[in-house]
Amino acid sequence: MEVEPLLSLAGVMIQLQQVSKVFDGKRQVTALDHVSLSVSKGEMVAITGPSGSGKSTLLNLIGGLDKPTSGEILLDGESLSQVSDDELTRVRRDKIGFIFQFFNLLPALTCLENVVLPLHLRGWPRKKIDERARELLELVELSHRLDHLPEELSGGERQRVAIARALSIYPPVLLADEPTGNLDSQTGAEILKLIQRLNERLNSTVLVVTHDMGVSGTCTRTIRLRDGRIVEDARR
Amino acid sequence: MTLLKLLTWPYVRKHLLRTWLTVAGIALGVVVFAGMHTANDTVLYGFQKTVDRIAGKAQLEVSSGETGFPEEVLEKVQALAEVDVAVPVIEATVSAGRQGNLLLLAVDMTGDRSLREYDFEEGEEAVLEDPLVFLAQPDSLIVTRDFAARNNLAAGGKLALDTMEGRRHFTVRGIMKPGGLASAFGGSLAVMDIYAAQKVLGRGRRFDRIDLTVKPGVPVDQGRAAIQKALGSGYQVERPASRGKQFESIARIFAIGATLNGMFALLIGLFIIYNTFSVAVAQRRSEIGVLRALGATQGQIRRLFLLESAVLGLAGSGLGILLGLLMARAMAGYLSDYFGEVYGIAQRTEAVAADPALLAFSVLAGVLASMLAAWIPARQAAQVDPVRALHKSAHETFSSRESRMRLAWAAIFLAVALAMVAAGGHTGLRLYVGYLSVVIAAVLLTPAMVRALIRVLRSVLQAILPVEGALAADSLLQSPRRTSATVAAVMLSLSLVVGLGGISAASYDSIFEWMSNVLNPDLFVGTSEQIAERSYRFPPALGETIRQMDFVDQVQMVRTVRVLYRQTPVMLVATDLKSLSERVRPKVVAGDARTMFVEAAQGKGVVLADNLALMQRLKLGDVIEIPSPGGVLRLAVLGITIDYSDQAGAVLMDRSLFLRNWNDDSVNLFRVYLKRGVKPEEARQRILERLGPHSRLFVMTNQELRKYVMKVTDQWFGLTYLQIFVAVLIAILGIVNSLTVSITDRRRELGVLRAVGGLRRQVRQAVWMEAAGIGAVSIVLGLALGAVVLYYYLGVVGGDLVGIRLEYRYPAGMALLLVPTMLLVALIAALGPAEAAVRASLVEALEYE
Repeated sequence: MEVEPLLSLAGVMIQLQQVSKVFDGKRQVTALDHVSLSVSKGEMVAITGPSGSGKSTLLNLIGGLDKPTSGEILLDGESLSQVSDDELTRVRRDKIGFIFQFFNLLPALTCLENVVLPLHLRGWPRKKIDERARELLELVELSHRLDHLPEELSGGERQRVAIARALSIYPPVLLADEPTGNLDSQTGAEILKLIQRLNERLNSTVLVVTHDMGVSGTCTRTIRLRDGRIVEDARR
Repeated sequence: MTLLKLLTWPYVRKHLLRTWLTVAGIALGVVVFAGMHTANDTVLYGFQKTVDRIAGKAQLEVSSGETGFPEEVLEKVQALAEVDVAVPVIEATVSAGRQGNLLLLAVDMTGDRSLREYDFEEGEEAVLEDPLVFLAQPDSLIVTRDFAARNNLAAGGKLALDTMEGRRHFTVRGIMKPGGLASAFGGSLAVMDIYAAQKVLGRGRRFDRIDLTVKPGVPVDQGRAAIQKALGSGYQVERPASRGKQFESIARIFAIGATLNGMFALLIGLFIIYNTFSVAVAQRRSEIGVLRALGATQGQIRRLFLLESAVLGLAGSGLGILLGLLMARAMAGYLSDYFGEVYGIAQRTEAVAADPALLAFSVLAGVLASMLAAWIPARQAAQVDPVRALHKSAHETFSSRESRMRLAWAAIFLAVALAMVAAGGHTGLRLYVGYLSVVIAAVLLTPAMVRALIRVLRSVLQAILPVEGALAADSLLQSPRRTSATVAAVMLSLSLVVGLGGISAASYDSIFEWMSNVLNPDLFVGTSEQIAERSYRFPPALGETIRQMDFVDQVQMVRTVRVLYRQTPVMLVATDLKSLSERVRPKVVAGDARTMFVEAAQGKGVVLADNLALMQRLKLGDVIEIPSPGGVLRLAVLGITIDYSDQAGAVLMDRSLFLRNWNDDSVNLFRVYLKRGVKPEEARQRILERLGPHSRLFVMTNQELRKYVMKVTDQWFGLTYLQIFVAVLIAILGIVNSLTVSITDRRRELGVLRAVGGLRRQVRQAVWMEAAGIGAVSIVLGLALGAVVLYYYLGVVGGDLVGIRLEYRYPAGMALLLVPTMLLVALIAALGPAEAAVRASLVEALEYE
């Protein structure tokens, strides 16, 4: 009886224990209310829910972009709640890849430069960076666009560059916030397929925040939020 | 107005720091302009007030330059039918030791009371009722209540004053009530009998001035004409107020400097405003698009931004005026001391004299500069296409047409500048047109040069830190408008620093050379520790006494007086020119070095200082007219030499010619050459031992005099250093403004950088490198523009300001010093913005649109 939780913990990548997030403004807004959750390695999870339900807040907390008001978040067994900003950044750079709805590419950098940015930040040697960058752009089928600026690419291509950047160190966790929200349905489907393929190939844990039921349909598990609480957690 | 409240106010509140920086940009220009002018006005006002209070009821004043005139002239004036009351005056600043300087007004008490009111509150009754008792006791002194209170003096008290016979004690025999005469020179005034003063000050039987009133019914101008006719053209017969005009002409250099610096500071402030508004327009494009879609006309949008700039300009000007008045208060004392030290002019600053017209003009200039700077961004805002309003990048870059136009205009302005040089434009209007053209061309060329330099810099920055360097360089390249405006502001500031530094370095070189050539006696014996002070005078016999000392080789007697030449007070230096020519080797600008002094020694003419020749457009062979008590002297210009005896210019004349025409044999300074092997320190000691107890004299060694000259030069350049400080301040302001804008503009970018693993340190470094990039490019362009600007500054200084001909020498040392200084300044300016960048909420940054 005692062995099972330990065994399951060994396979857990993300663990949230009674996590709350309250925003102080003119009036207090509880974005997340005592949320507990665990996600295993290699799982591909969709987080759905209406606007204001706390999806993005949840993703930001797991990604270490923000800190919870209370509760504990463990990522690969490491607590994110009581660490300094730089330690949080180190967790992000070693374990997390982000994919944003608006791509968030740096407009002055080429595709290649955008992709290698996280590697430079880690201080990798130039040769190793070049090899990895070409490998990644091949993976997202953009080898022919290395020297193009983001503004010269289509929306789908931009998102592919963003995905390549998120994967630059093959992070164990990939967080995507509405990755298809800014794309047409066909391109969105292609991007989703790409993420799915990467999840299978790299065995990354993927969390996708989405409104799109089609997206959640491709995931192995769907968590639905409402008013900052988990109201449904279904596995396929 | 409603739009302003609805749209601008929330934006201003959101970007408070940037708003402050913008206001500061204008405020700085106004501070310099209003502050320097008000300081000047305050000193001028202080002087005029002293003149007015002392003048009392006097309608006219008779003088003969600074030399004064024999007592007989008074009788001549009193005898004129048009004159009602005429009284003699000697006015001098004397040292009262720890009590500071006193303005000594020496009058003949028997007649003076009909011109001036001595409102006594305390004193010996006999003295107050009968001036003859005052006269009978030559140690009598009347002081003001203010001075008496400050120095714990009462009637009957003793006050020590420096006299030509050493320090003597005087008895306070009357204390005047405050107000009127008693408030002249800030209340530090003492009245003495004129015949006692002649002895105290070593004046001989001469007066400085006659104050008079004309008979009732006689128009003042008629009286003036009659007196002028009776005395001849060697005398000045003027209303008391005209002394202020002479002071104004001396303070002219400072007033011109104030205007130029204020305008320059405002010009640089213009770029800061332009930058802020350009970015504001870029950031508010979607808002403008919505407004346009809702029916706002182009005119309404343009007016909105212009009104916004006017409000900021008004706020900046208001702040500038307040700070300017504070600056004027601090600066007036400094200026007052400077005028006293260099020109020997008695004045005392009181309350700050703020001229409402000047302040109104400052506010207007600030508001107009702000609106002018916002003009282009406002026009761009008006032209925003509602449909494309969300595409921001287009307005942060220059279109190729705009770039071509800029280059074309730059070429035209450069051609104008070259044409001015070709047309001999090193003075006058051509010089200013040339200078302005060069500055405009440099500003127009800035974007192209910035782009080229940043591209070069990118690899350098990348070599230092690959990611941070590339990000910094790209951020600068991405927003050429913002980068160029900042670089232009810093570039102009640095060019100003280089130009002023070049002037300062060349001036010091030139002054050193002059001192080596001309100021070569071993000792200088003067009446005061301040060489320019001319209140006390030596009898010539003292020179003879010094000459007979066994260690003295030669003594040259020097008399310096201020005389009016073309209504400008210039310095007349009378000495034995033959003896001088054997000892000194001045740098000759025009004339024959071998003959000019010989001919001048024969009384055939004078030798002019180059600065006087340049300012008054005089050349070799011209005849100059100098008023003397013996009539107007017409003297040929026999030579022109480099001479820094006086900022307003000096006329070198033989002592024999001076004696003949001024009938004044007193001496201000003895130039003493010692016999070979005699140590100056020992010689000084022996002179002081022998003459010190009986006479007021100060002996300076050559080294000490040089130090004194350098001190006065430093004081003058103290104002230049203030300008350099302002220029550096503007550079800091420009960089802080640009980086603050950049950080706000790139919030999302910096957020992404941190989201994908950028440490705070790395983000900080990227911002620092961006600042260093602005600094480095500005340094390159500023130092280059400075090299050109220096040429024009030399022209302004040489031809229009002080007439000093300086050699072109690039201030390489200063330029080298500026490199680390400006990089450090840039990094310091980046500290705040960098911290703002790393402390911003990541979530908000990533959501930022």
